[in-house]
Amino acid sequence: MVNSFFFIGLPYIAVFSLVAGSIYRFKSERFSYSALSSQFLESKKLLWGSVLWHAGIMIIFVGHLIPFLLPGLWQSLTSQPAFVVAVEVLGVAAAFTALVGLVVLFVRRILSRHIQSVTTPVDLVVLALLIVQILIGIQTAAGHRWGSMWSVQTTTPYLWSVLTLQPDLIHVDSLPPTVKLHIAVAWIIIMLVPFSRLVHAFSLPIQYLWRAPQQVIWTNARRIRHIAPVIRKAEESRRLFLKGALGLGTAGGLLTVGVMDKLVRFFSGPNMTPEEQAALLQKRLERLEMTAEERDLELERMRNDYIFVANLKELSPKDGKYFIDYQMRPALAYRDTTGLPLLISAKCTHLGCTVASSVDASGRILCPCHISYFDLKTGMPQPGSPATKPLPLLGWALMDTQGNILVSQAPDGRREGEVPADKLEASMVYIAKRYEETV
Amino acid sequence: MDVRAQVAMVFHLDKCIGCHTCSVACKNVWTDRPGAEYMWWNNVETKPGTGYPTLWEDQLNYRGGWELTGKRDLRLRCQTKASSFLKLFYNPNQPGLDDYYEPWTYRDQDLFDAEAGDDQPTAVPVSQITGEVIDIKAGPNWDDDLSGSPVYAENDPNLKHLTEDERRMLFEIENIAMMYLPRICNHCANPSCVASCPSGALYKRGEDGIVLVNQDKCRGWRACVSACPYKKIYYTWKTGKSEKCILCYPRVETGQPPACFHACVGRIRYMGVLLYDADRIEEAMKAPEASLVEAQRSVLLDPDDPNVIRGAAESGVSEAFVSVAQRSPVYRYVKEWELALPLHPEFRTMPMLYYVPPLLPISGRMGDGIYEHGAEQFFSHLDKARLPLRYLAALFGAGNEDIVRTVMKKQMAVRYFKRAQDVDDIDPEQVKRILREAHLTAEQAEAIYALTALGSLENRYVMPPIQREEAIEGSGGPGCSPESCKGTCGLGAVQPPRRGA
Repeated sequence: MVNSFFFIGLPYIAVFSLVAGSIYRFKSERFSYSALSSQFLESKKLLWGSVLWHAGIMIIFVGHLIPFLLPGLWQSLTSQPAFVVAVEVLGVAAAFTALVGLVVLFVRRILSRHIQSVTTPVDLVVLALLIVQILIGIQTAAGHRWGSMWSVQTTTPYLWSVLTLQPDLIHVDSLPPTVKLHIAVAWIIIMLVPFSRLVHAFSLPIQYLWRAPQQVIWTNARRIRHIAPVIRKAEESRRLFLKGALGLGTAGGLLTVGVMDKLVRFFSGPNMTPEEQAALLQKRLERLEMTAEERDLELERMRNDYIFVANLKELSPKDGKYFIDYQMRPALAYRDTTGLPLLISAKCTHLGCTVASSVDASGRILCPCHISYFDLKTGMPQPGSPATKPLPLLGWALMDTQGNILVSQAPDGRREGEVPADKLEASMVYIAKRYEETV
Repeated sequence: MDVRAQVAMVFHLDKCIGCHTCSVACKNVWTDRPGAEYMWWNNVETKPGTGYPTLWEDQLNYRGGWELTGKRDLRLRCQTKASSFLKLFYNPNQPGLDDYYEPWTYRDQDLFDAEAGDDQPTAVPVSQITGEVIDIKAGPNWDDDLSGSPVYAENDPNLKHLTEDERRMLFEIENIAMMYLPRICNHCANPSCVASCPSGALYKRGEDGIVLVNQDKCRGWRACVSACPYKKIYYTWKTGKSEKCILCYPRVETGQPPACFHACVGRIRYMGVLLYDADRIEEAMKAPEASLVEAQRSVLLDPDDPNVIRGAAESGVSEAFVSVAQRSPVYRYVKEWELALPLHPEFRTMPMLYYVPPLLPISGRMGDGIYEHGAEQFFSHLDKARLPLRYLAALFGAGNEDIVRTVMKKQMAVRYFKRAQDVDDIDPEQVKRILREAHLTAEQAEAIYALTALGSLENRYVMPPIQREEAIEGSGGPGCSPESCKGTCGLGAVQPPRRGA
């Protein structure tokens, strides 16, 4: 019950009081917002009191704020023992600095008659509470060491649970009484902020950093009317500039993102799923296989004087059979009207496309790339075709099943041996190395 | 060209008798309340003297005003933007109560309640801060008329410009001289207090250049108190806010001169509108010290110049304001006759309160121990003036003696001119020569005499037109009539000035 009040009820009362009270006071009693400095009445002790107190408490405040706001960062920092020691030493030093300052301020307020005349009861209550709070804080640091480490698991989740409206006592239940007291007094001090001089903390004049040195205020409508167009123009040009800058910035940003993306990908290498990797490997293998096949063919052509093209009976006069000649170029094999083979290069003399294999009614074959017709018998291109040179005819040799050369023909048509009519159908067509070299 | 209007002032020191009526008028109207007892928005100092607060002119101590850096930049002497944050907690340059004095009253009731005894009952002094019986150590005008005093006069910071001999001469008993220096806020055109305020509570009114503290925005950081080189911003210990002379703007807005002006028995005060070019202030305030007075004069604009009138219209200064500026006695003294000089222009705040330096004591010439009348040189020579020119130059010329000498010559010439006219015992040729040397025509001398000696209320205070309704319209937006928007402007004190907890 007591716990529920101090760690659930009080926090909400305190935060409500802080927010609503400060705003209400600002709205309705703005005049009362002041640092209420008493340096005018007494300055020697104030120098020590005020400077030490403010220096100390600002360090302490930041040290309490960071573990709350950035617990992740804090945890990673406090994982290094050197950091923890440094932070704890700094914290305790700051606490003592603040304490000395506060005590000086308190004593000054009690002893000086001049300061008494500007002292309210709330001032004394706040001063006393702050002294008590710092003493408890020092006691916590001394008695329950390494608060910078355990606070992330205890007070930070507790504060977040309060902040997210799901107050959870589990984080504070098991804390030692000193720490509990520290938390409870903190809520009381926060509650008192709008009713005390502590509101001056909200008046930190940050805007002074960028403010123009001179301030002129016009209440005269005439001036406002006269100056308005100038201001409007300035604002318009500023808006244009901002728009332009924004556009350029966005474009530059996108470009940079793109470039960086490519660069990063390039240097970090592809990031692929196993399936993608398998597919890539497969593709590489296929490419290797194709290369190997090609090398095989090359090797075959280097080693052998004759390369098998087809069985003669498979060839037809209408549709050619593709094969690779000694130059590793595509070529076509036909059977001419006399029943003998007709071999012709299939690499178009225009730009090197592969010529199609079927023969049309006029005895021509077609390169489909740029429509060049070639006469099959002579290899001559039809006039008007893009190709102007003839497709070269290839020489051939016919062999029987035992590998004896029956007859062979050079590209120019010279024939060696007689055509054996009986063995013709069973013979096989070869190309011969000796003919190729003469081409 | 950004033409702005400024309600500016001239104090004619030759006419000040040091009666403090101005101070009392101000005190009664504005600072007669707890927390403000020690304040004198208007005070009259005896010079040579240490002034109020003590040694306010010593900027090595208080660090007020602007300084020119090596790179010819103007910067506040008291703080940079970064250091201002450290000074929130403790300002090392802020004058304390001891630098002013502890305000007190008397326990008058004791006179009635005392039991019968052998001695007369007395009303003991009690502090107005603590209520305790105090031993008074200082009070308002504590060094009043104390020229020659080793405690006050001899510590005047301006005396450091004098040689050892001159200082000794000044304080020889037969030669002791003094002058009065009435001071209010200068409502500077380049105010260092405004630039120093971290909260942005201080501002200059665009319409008339009056510098004010927004009491609702003031957070009591006290930077202005040390930044003002004239120490004319006061910290109210009771409410924790800074306050300053408001040039009685509620009176000015209704066509009345400020209380101190109205109360002045010596009629030394003049008020009128000056037009100046706000764009040129910064450059002018970067001038070398010796030419600061001339630089400041050059920023002031001729209200009869058609270009200036057009510029004024473009900048939103009303025709009525310009026509008031054309009749401004301040413009006569400051720019046309070049008789009035700013106080301590070397603080570079461009003060808008100008002083005609005193020509005192103006005595008949002594020759062979006999007081001579009707001699060739009727008045004593300027360089034999009891208050050395160099002292006046330290006050009004940033050390430039020539500027002060010119002013003195003009004043002297006017006296010769009038003496010749009224008593007719000076050779007219000599008068003509003196006028010529002072760069004055007879008409100008007559005009100076008229405004200085005969000026009526209407001549001395040429007030700007009423702006209250305009201000209300301006602050309330369109359709806001003075009736419906009452309370949205003016003093603006809709909340009681209660101290916060």
